[in-house]
Formats: sequence, structure tokens, C-alpha cells
Amino acid sequence: MFKKKSAFLALSFVMLTSSLVACSSKNNNGESASPSPSASASSSSQASTTPENAEKPLKFSLFYSDNATLPFKEDWLVVQEVEKRFNVDIDFEVIPIADYQTKVSLALNTGNNAPDVILYQSTKGENASLALNGAIVPISDYSDWTPNFNAKVAEFGLEKDLADLNLKDGKRYYLPSLFDKPFYDGGLILRQDLLAKYGLQAPKTFDDLYNVLKKFKAENPDSYPLTILAGPRVLYRMTMPSFGISVGKNGADGSRTLSWDYEKQTYFPGAISDQYKEYMKFFSKLYAEGLLDPEMADPIDGDKWSTKLATGKSFASYAYYDQIGGVEGAATEAGFDLQMFPPLEGPAGAHHQQKSRTGAGVMFPKKTADRADFEQLVKKIDEIFFSEEGSKIWGLGAEGVTYTMDGDKIKYADEIVNSPNGIYKTMQLNYGAGSDVTQLVWVNAREMTKYDENYSQINATVAAMKDPIQAIPPTPMFDDMTAEEAASLQTPLYDTFEVWADGFLTGKKSLDKDWDKYVKEMQMLQIDRFTQMYNDNLKK
Amino acid sequence: MNKQRKYRPLTIGDVLINAFMVLVVLICFVPFLYMLALSLSSPEAIINNKVSLFPVGLNFEAYHQIFTYPNFFKAYGNTIFYTAGGTLISLFMSALFAYAMSKRFLKGHKLVMMLIVFSMFFSGGLIPTYLLISDLNLTGTPWAMLLPFALNQFNLIILINFFRAIPAEIEEAAIIDGLNYFGILQRVILPLSTPALATIGLYTAVFFWNDWFNGLIYLNTQQYPVMLFLRNIVNGTAMVGDGAGAADKSTIAMSIKSAVIITSTLPIIILYPLLQRFFVAGLTVGSVKG
Repeated sequence: MFKKKSAFLALSFVMLTSSLVACSSKNNNGESASPSPSASASSSSQASTTPENAEKPLKFSLFYSDNATLPFKEDWLVVQEVEKRFNVDIDFEVIPIADYQTKVSLALNTGNNAPDVILYQSTKGENASLALNGAIVPISDYSDWTPNFNAKVAEFGLEKDLADLNLKDGKRYYLPSLFDKPFYDGGLILRQDLLAKYGLQAPKTFDDLYNVLKKFKAENPDSYPLTILAGPRVLYRMTMPSFGISVGKNGADGSRTLSWDYEKQTYFPGAISDQYKEYMKFFSKLYAEGLLDPEMADPIDGDKWSTKLATGKSFASYAYYDQIGGVEGAATEAGFDLQMFPPLEGPAGAHHQQKSRTGAGVMFPKKTADRADFEQLVKKIDEIFFSEEGSKIWGLGAEGVTYTMDGDKIKYADEIVNSPNGIYKTMQLNYGAGSDVTQLVWVNAREMTKYDENYSQINATVAAMKDPIQAIPPTPMFDDMTAEEAASLQTPLYDTFEVWADGFLTGKKSLDKDWDKYVKEMQMLQIDRFTQMYNDNLKK
Repeated sequence: MNKQRKYRPLTIGDVLINAFMVLVVLICFVPFLYMLALSLSSPEAIINNKVSLFPVGLNFEAYHQIFTYPNFFKAYGNTIFYTAGGTLISLFMSALFAYAMSKRFLKGHKLVMMLIVFSMFFSGGLIPTYLLISDLNLTGTPWAMLLPFALNQFNLIILINFFRAIPAEIEEAAIIDGLNYFGILQRVILPLSTPALATIGLYTAVFFWNDWFNGLIYLNTQQYPVMLFLRNIVNGTAMVGDGAGAADKSTIAMSIKSAVIITSTLPIIILYPLLQRFFVAGLTVGSVKG
């Protein structure tokens, strides 16, 4: 008896409380129900006629992509500083990065519950068709309202890169993040202490690398000197450019089986080219001689990868500079010293993975353009993210708190410099400075001050090389029909490529005997037509 | 229940069966033990592959770190609320629905059954559903988590069949004693259905506990369930769009992943033994006395 009564009581209690919660939450998000945006809009447009100091802060909502390695905090110094200095009230909608695209896609597709501003977006993939169908504001039409952005583009010489972001209708739908120079943030990492121990020179070419690995193997027969991080795609994307190709899952142009000829400025079928054959010759040789980790076909996650390097099962890898610290901290061997090296020279010169000088940035959903204060909002966003003052806050924090200027040199606060996490990570975690999502202006020299001497040294070396990091090839302008056809060609081509790539690498297929059969198979799947489509739809 | 059993000599069969059951228990239990060990070990020990089933270099850093995640406890509270509220609402509505559906003499019950089964296999799809919830003004409120998923067709069918299996004589006796249908449901049917209700309750609770997707699409940051956190931490470095590479760049320590898995799955696992006694109870225990 009593049990049933209590169950009913509990149920009514739940219903009651949840309705209360529902009410209160409705009042909290002035997004859907309450007329606050328009209210604040009218008040702020009136306010612009009143004296400056009486102005109410401009209120807007924004999607922020949250990475678990850098959890967002509302009370970060940079957020507080920006809100104070630019007189805005930002309602951050913090969304886990793994599902960010889902949430954005729903907001843009339905137009419901869309925020005023979406960060960390570009018009690749689905967003392109959403843009062409009018779900996103063509921000390039309002370039008069983005003076700071335009100035930065001119300063970095990115006019051409920017033009490449236009969609088929000749309009650009987002304000990308801007890089003055691409970073060399990852590449060949190997045990420097062992080079000295075995009397070897630092490798400059891929042949040198082969000799170094050979020596490592001879001294440590149970090891596999070269391992990979994540999957073969990481090795491919970082090494292929030196052989003049870029194919596979992370190929630079996204076609997965084509490559860009930087001299002729055309696409060619990279997956069946002689360059690729050459490339596979080299790596299958490593594999056959036990110099390359046979587990590389499976994903090797960060932990496993660290274990292999820390315990001396491997001595070299292609990975990122940020990851060296973790491995060195865990290694027990005396004198353990991992170092990153500039890109190695291959048949096509010394190149690292291609990089774009623009990245993900700010996007406005269609609904935002209906705000009475839309112009004011765009100008504000431009100021917050792209002005000298604003971009410095997102990158360095607040002057006088996180850093001081000594002439033109940046001096970080003592507690940051002495933190065990290092300057870069401490700035991120404690102050929110240097987050990919909010920092939209990247000045290489300025960023380098956050790292150790060694890293800036390597970056300087790389910057002095000839074209070490090439530009991302131009994306063809497909209309919906062509895009559909291209996609239907791409998938079987890529699947076949994957199977054969694995076969060639591990020696299950012979590069001498089976190569022609592979080429024929790819031609059957119309790789030539696929290439033609790419070349025909390039922007003239 | 606890009758004294006479012991008979152990046979080889008994030994084999028991050994096999112990193995099954281990298969279920060891992964958890390993996760627990990882979450309590030092990063050095993990990277150097020293951790097996017991923590090496005991440290609570991982737990300390996740407890300092902004909103972690808030999200935890949200999940407990959704689970408790969702399960109660779901049982309440399912019981009312199923009891009516269990009466074969009701007109149209076949049609309703068809509707239930049809919606089991075909749904509107993501965007129509989203638009519906959004037009009902449920987005951004906890109701978006609780209401749309309160009725699960599969559970309903289980419950309907369970109610149908209860002998009609019991109900007839109750009617003669002057009970109306609500009274019968409350005083006769539901007390007899504890095994079924416990089973469905457990299914539903587990569903609400694990449900992250609906929370993601309908709710605001402050209302997220804890499973979204877990997802973000366990595969939170998956990166979309630009910069092939950022995904492989930032990694989260194994100890933290394990700690999050342990903290977010333990409560629902503890729930199971508590419901165990209802599963064992027989179907019509104590209703018709022989």
C-alpha cells in the first residue's frame, strides 16, 4: 500500500519539479521564446544615438566547439576581457567537438534554434550546399562591415587564398581564420640520443632515413624502428609530398586518389602514377626489412604510440611536436631525447604535408540577418576577432596580466613561464588564450614565443627552406549533379586504392608483377574520367 | 525461498559448469577491473605497460581532473534526474497503455497494435523529429528528454503480453468485490507485475542513463547529460572538416578516459543487483492460493 502511494507521490513530484525546471530554463535562454534579442536590438540601436558610456552591451549567442583536452570555462580571462573591452554579452553554447557538426547541421538545416554566430566552421562538405540553398549569410556581400578582416587579409597577402573559398556563386559564406605563415607543427620525430650513440648524422633525405633505421634495427634486432601514430594516413600525408603526390584518406585535395601537379597546375591520377610506385617501393622496402612497424595497419592510438617509443620498441615516428613531452616524461632510459626534424628530401624535393593558410572561422546563419542590429553585430564580430587588439587577446591574453611588452618582445608572466605544463598549454588551460576555436589570427613569430627555443629553431630552419609546406590544391567547383557523380566515382576508387596500398606495402602484392593489374583495375573504375572532372571544373 | 537443500556428491558435470560460470563472470568483470586499475595508476606506469589488474603507482590525479571539469557534476545531476524522471513517467504511461491494450474485447485494439508495431520499424527520421520537438516548444527544456521517449514499443509489447497472461479469474473476483478498472490496475495487476515492471524499469533506466544523442540535439549546455561528457572525453578528439591532423594531435590520457568510464557507468551497474530480487520472483506468486 505504502509503496504504491510513495511511487505516485514520487511521480507527481518529478512531474512538478521538471515543469518548474522547464519554466526556469525557458527564462534563462532568451533565445527561442523571449523577445530579448529584438528588445536588446532596438535598445542598442537607440543607444547609438545616446552618449557612448550609456550603451548597453550587445547581446548575441554563439556556438563554441569544445575539445575535451581544453575544456571551455566561462570565466576564462580572455572571455571576460573581450566582453568587457568590446562591450558585448556573449551567450556561449558549448558543444562537444565530437558532435559539433551534428548540432550545427541541425541548426542550419532546420533554421530552428540556430545561434546568432557559429564558430569553427567552413564551407566544406554539407555546408557548401546549405550555403547555396540560402541557409547561411553570404558574408562576402558585406565586406564593408569587416574592415579589420580585410586589413589582415591584405597584410598577410591572402587575397588569392580567400578567392579560393568562394563557392560556385562567387560568394564566400564565412570569415576564415588567417595564418601569416603555415606552422611546422609535426613531422619526423626520432631519438637524437641514439644518433649520437651510433655515430650517425641527422637524416636529410629519405635514403638517409633508411640508413638510420637500418642501424637502429641492427643494434636492436627486436625493435621496429619506425612506428606510426593513429593510422597509415598520418605517415602518408606527412611524407608523400616529398614524392610529388598526396593520396589516401587525408590527401591534400580530398579526392583521395588524385594529386595536384604544382608545376603544371593540373590534377593527375596520383594513385596510379610512377611517383606513387616510387613511394611504395621505398616504404615496402622498409616493411620487408622489419624497419616499419607491422602493426601500422590498425589504429595505434596516442597511448599505445607513446608506449612503443618510451619503452624502446620504436625509435622514430611521424607525429606532432606537442606529443614529445609526454613520451619523454614517461621514458625511463637515461639520456632519452626525442627531437623533431625538418622535412626530408625525396624525389620531388623536401616537403611536409600541405597546409592551407586559412582555417575554420565564423559563420552567420540566415536568421541572424533578420536582426535589426545585424550590421552592428557583424562589425562587432569583425572587431572582436580580427582587430589587432581583439586578436591579441585571444592569442596572448591581457597585457599586464599574462604578458608584458619589453620593447617589441613579449614577456610572459612568471607563473606561466615556470609552470610545468609549458607556456603554450598553461596559456590555454588557465586563460583560454590560443584556442583554435576563438583565435582567428595567427602570426607565426608571435606564436613561437610560446614554445621552447628548440621549436622556434626548427620552425626557423623550415621557414628558410624552399617551399617546405605547399598550399592546398584548389577545390573544383562542382554543381550538385557533378558533385554527386564525382562522389560515386570516388568511393570505389578509394576502396580499391586502400586494398592495394596495403598489399603493396606489406608485400602481399608485388610492385613489379601486379602493378599493371592494379592500374588496369583503377582505369576500369574510371580514374581518368574522375581526373577529367576535377580538371574541367577548376576555376579559370 | 531458502529451503534447506540436501547435499549430493559433486559430479564432474557440476565442476565443469561451475568453472564455466566463473569464466563467464571473469569475462564480464575483468575489463572493469582493468579500467579501474588504469584510472588509479600513474601515467608513467601506463605508458610503460606495467598496469594489469591492479593499480601501479597509485594516484587519484585522473579523478581529480574530471571532477574539476566545468559542469561535470551538474551533468551528473542532470543524468540522475533524467533517469529517475524518465523511468517513472515511462512506467506510468506504459502501464496505463498496456493495461487497456491487454483487453482483447476493446474495439480498435488491433488497429492500435498495428500502429505500435509500425512505428517500431519506421520513424520520421532525424530532421522531421527534430522539427516536431522544436515546434512543440520542447527544445531547451528537460521535457525534450523525458516525453518523446516515454513510450517504447518493445517494452509496451512485453507488458501487454504480461498483462494478458494474468488469469482473468483474478480480475473477475476483483470486479465482484466492487473494484473499478483503475482500482484493479492499481491494487491487483500492478502488484502482480513487479517482475515485468522491474525488467522494463531497468531497460528504461539504462536507456535514459546512456542517452546522449537526444540531449545533444535538444538541450542547452547547462542541461547536458553526463554521457555527452564521456563521449567527448573518450573520442573527443575526433575532428571534422579542416586540418587533417588536428585529430591525431591532441590525445587524452588513458587514465582519464578510464576514470570517466568508471564514474559514469558504475551507478547504473549497481542498480542491477538491487532489482535482481524482482526478476527471480515467480509470475503469479501469492495470487491464487492453492
